[in-house]
Parts: sequence; structure tokens; C-alpha cells
Amino acid sequence: MAVFRWGQQWDPFRDLEREVDRLLASVSLSVQGLRFGRQFPPVNLYALDHEFVLTAELPGVRREDLEINVADGVLTIKGKRLGPEGVPDDRYRRQERARGTWQRSFSFPERVEDEHISAEISNSGILTIRLPRAATSQPRQIKVMDGNS
Amino acid sequence: MSEEKPLVAMPVAAGEITEEPRTEPAVVFLPQIDIFETEEGLVLLADLPGVTSETLELQVQDNKLTLFGRVQPPLDDAARLVHQEYQVGNFLRSFILSDEVDHERITAKLNQGVLEVTLPRVRRSEPRRIHVSSAG
Repeated sequence: MAVFRWGQQWDPFRDLEREVDRLLASVSLSVQGLRFGRQFPPVNLYALDHEFVLTAELPGVRREDLEINVADGVLTIKGKRLGPEGVPDDRYRRQERARGTWQRSFSFPERVEDEHISAEISNSGILTIRLPRAATSQPRQIKVMDGNS
Repeated sequence: MSEEKPLVAMPVAAGEITEEPRTEPAVVFLPQIDIFETEEGLVLLADLPGVTSETLELQVQDNKLTLFGRVQPPLDDAARLVHQEYQVGNFLRSFILSDEVDHERITAKLNQGVLEVTLPRVRRSEPRRIHVSSAG
């Protein structure tokens, strides 16, 4: 499973390529909307003192077409966005809006409390996921033995 | 009917957008759109995530349709952006309408951040038959 990671530990361009490849592979219905090479949905991650906030632009995605899972610290959001019903392709003068099914996975720079993650989608098509930071455990000192003994 | 000219709703080139009066220094983005034909005319769909009916301005002036949507930052300044794939800013895009579009009957609705503008074709009057009387 290709998992997107935050921060500098991976080359961001390789991540981007991998994401785009995967997205293209997963969308067999229509690829016209993906010609800009932008990942769908685009997300931003904000850090606050007590939580991370992930926002995603999901215009026209209904709540019932959205699925959010978390397992082993990896958050997965997936869903579908369909075009207008009953409009044949030859009726389009322009087709720029992404459509089809999509899925993205994220891991976080720090541990989060899986059971307290909350999500809401606004009536203007912005998904907001709140991930409370897990309490940091105290560092445990490990005694180093003398090698000769 | 076969001679019918297609309706035109041409997006204005991006360069022309700078003509718009800038009321604030915010970044402006071109929304992604679909335009398709129906029996009645054209339908325009525009992705405007973060825009509500209160923050959307849609106007027709002369033959130009302009949409402008304001977007508020989702969080206050205390939030530190640690990863960014989209910029938060206002949306602006203009379209040239042909005379085939009935400007008076344009309607629009906004749902889940998607704007749908209906651009009906001008109603043509029924052809009137003119009786030709013979001279003799």
C-alpha cells in the first residue's frame, strides 16, 4: 500500500508521481478531469497545540458518497463524484471537473487518538477532519551496560 | 433547425481577468468548470469549494457572465500549515455569452460548493404564415 507521508523524509516529487499513478489506475470511468495532474481531492494539513486538522476540497461530494477509515495510524478517505445524470459525453463543450472514484491515505507526523477522530463536511464542500494528538509518553532511559562485563 | 447556430458560452481568456477591479489583494483562482448542452440551452457547472450563497456574486453585464466567490480561511492564524496541496483564495471566472442565450431567464443554484447556472436558449417566435393572394 502506497501511503502518503508528511514532512521531508520522502522525496515529495516521487510521492506525487506515485499518487497520480495510483489515482489514474483507480479511475477507469473517466480521466478527462484529471488532465491537470492535480490530486483529488487536494488536502491541507494544519497543526494546532492539541490536534491536527486535515481539510479537503470536495465540492459536490455528498456525505453518503464519502467513507473515512482509520487503521494503524493510517487515515484513508475514499469516495466518488459523479457527473450529471443523463448527459452524454458529446453534449459537453467543456469538461474540466474531476469525476469518478478516488481514494487517498495519510499517515501523520505524530501519533493521534484514533478513537477521537471526528469529521464533517460543510455545505460548501469542504471536508474537515480533526485528529487529536495522542499524549506523548515519557522517554524511558535505557541503561547501557559495559561491554566487558 | 439544421441551420441552428450553437449557443456560445466562451470562457474569457485568463489575461482578461486582470481587468477586473481588485478590491482586495487576495489571490484569485480559476474554478474548474463543465459546460454541457441540454434541450433548453446550456448548463454551466463550477467547482467553488468553500463558497456559500452569501459569499457568491454572479452577474451578467452586457454579454459577460462573471462569477466571483469569496472563501474564508478554514482556521485562524494559530493553526500552522504543515502540508499544503491547495491554496485558499477567492474564485473568479468570466464567460462571454452569445445572443442565443436569453439573459433574462438565466438562473443559478449553489449546492455543496458546486454552482449550477442554467443558460436558456432564446425562445423563437412561431413562424407566421403569410397568405399570398393571387392577383388574378
